[in-house]
Amino acid sequence: MRNIIDSELASIVTLLIFLAILPTSLSTYGVRTLSVGLLYGLAAVGFNILYGYTGLISFGHAMFFSAGAYGLAIGLVKMGLDPVQSLLMALGLTFIVAIITGYLSLRHTEIYFAMLTLAFAQLMYSLILKLRDVTGGDEGIYNIPRLLGSVESYYYLILSIVSIMVILAWWLVRTPMGLSFQTVRDNPDRARALGINVSRVRLLSYVISAYYVSLSGILYAPLHRAITPEIAYWTFSALIVMMTILGGSRRVIGAFIGGLIFIYINTFATGFTEFWQLIMGVLLAAIVYLAPNGLVGFIEGVVRRVR
Amino acid sequence: MEHGYFIAQLFNALYYASILFLISSGLSLIYGIMRILNLAHGALYMLGAYVTYTVVVEWLGINPFSMVLAFISSILVVGGVGMFIERVLLKKLYNKPEDLQLLLTFALIFILDDIVKMIWGAQYKAFPVIPGFSIDVMGFKIPVYLISATALGLLVGFVLHWFFTGTTYGRMIRAAAYNPEVASTLGINVDRIFTISFGLGAALAGLAGGVAVPLYTASPGMGGDAIVYSFAVIVIGGMGSILGAFVGSLIIGLIRVLMALVFPVFEIALVYMVMAAVLLFRPRGLFGREVRGRK
Repeated sequence: MRNIIDSELASIVTLLIFLAILPTSLSTYGVRTLSVGLLYGLAAVGFNILYGYTGLISFGHAMFFSAGAYGLAIGLVKMGLDPVQSLLMALGLTFIVAIITGYLSLRHTEIYFAMLTLAFAQLMYSLILKLRDVTGGDEGIYNIPRLLGSVESYYYLILSIVSIMVILAWWLVRTPMGLSFQTVRDNPDRARALGINVSRVRLLSYVISAYYVSLSGILYAPLHRAITPEIAYWTFSALIVMMTILGGSRRVIGAFIGGLIFIYINTFATGFTEFWQLIMGVLLAAIVYLAPNGLVGFIEGVVRRVR
Repeated sequence: MEHGYFIAQLFNALYYASILFLISSGLSLIYGIMRILNLAHGALYMLGAYVTYTVVVEWLGINPFSMVLAFISSILVVGGVGMFIERVLLKKLYNKPEDLQLLLTFALIFILDDIVKMIWGAQYKAFPVIPGFSIDVMGFKIPVYLISATALGLLVGFVLHWFFTGTTYGRMIRAAAYNPEVASTLGINVDRIFTISFGLGAALAGLAGGVAVPLYTASPGMGGDAIVYSFAVIVIGGMGSILGAFVGSLIIGLIRVLMALVFPVFEIALVYMVMAAVLLFRPRGLFGREVRGRK
């Protein structure tokens, strides 16, 4: 057991070191793509705290991504606040959204929970779409300042934050709190019998998960420099779910790799043919049959067999 | 506000509700019988729209007869695609975690979207005119097509209700949905029932696309909104209930069209507020049975 735990941390650190060296051999465009990959990875890791480790499937995590991105962008562009104030506003907005939707959605589990999160996320999407004065409506918000001069330096800012957050997640799921998440996932009744406050544990996991995804959105806005309501739409929520399952929901590193790989499959397929969605779809479908535990689960299986 | 304009909008609302009902009854049926949340249902609706467009605008010309043929084509093509998906792809996943079914149906959205783009191109496909003549209602022209489409939705609702309650095969499907193991020991071919049910659900989405395309135009992304409004419909009405899908569609159709008139900022928001409220206070929906989901 000890061995496996160490090997996951070792893999995470190796991957992060690789990601720190990689930009030296990439174009600015390549670095931008990799930055988005890191942010998708971060979002998937956060989603997976709730999904893989607490056993709740949310279909509305786009609302946290957009709470972060819109919170920051509204502060910076529409209200003319400085970056720190804007950051605080984004974090505050995330808190309000997460607490309210979490408290209400967690009255249910399984599909009813998923449907409630979907309803709240779509509610948020519709408000972003319609409150034009604040959010820019379907045009979104553009001319968001980059905060750090070049794409490359911003990449290293993202990488440092993402590294901390991913290792933090690795650590979190091994703390008593993280273990209580997993107890609630595996057997809520037994968790209750053990004296675990199941609803509080779920809400805690929900809010932590929300903050990971929100942070991803916060970092995304200055990278992309323009945001549109698409980041609040249900397909983006679904994408976060799919990236996580693609990489493998049983491990922190699985979700992270899922996000990273996703953007590369996307870029590869887009460069290869105008019908990139078809390739994406076929690859996702192939995962279902060939690697039902995700890519990381698949690799683990191969390693175990070789040993 | 003029009364005539209001009544014209009411016809639009009923037409929209009828389309929503056709899509969501299929979605609800598939969920109710097989416990599969078919994310690709909106993509099947889109496919139906393109099929009807091709048959009518590109092949036969706009007249009532070709519309009927086109609807039948949409039903057959999309129903066939649905049966293929169930037989070849979904059948292998019944004993696996439900996440995999979700992932597969999500992947199908990508695949179907691009297949449509390959065949029909990325540009919008609009009918040059609305089929049929219009009648005058208080100074506003209401296309008879709108009224017939609404009537068609009603008719399909009655036929489905009759099929599931009044025919032996319909009862067999319900038995298979209620308890597949027991049903198969009673000699019911559950495998075939699942294939047919998925095909029927898909066919309803296809028909919905056909009915919608003369006014709403066909485009590669049109399934995205359709599926999420259908989720709202079946949650409000009760997942698995045909009557629920019917009432849910009416509620959402009326909310959207009426709110667009009086309070456009909340046109979409109110739909999801109602959806959330139903989930919170009556999770089984207005007409759903007690919750008995597979764990």
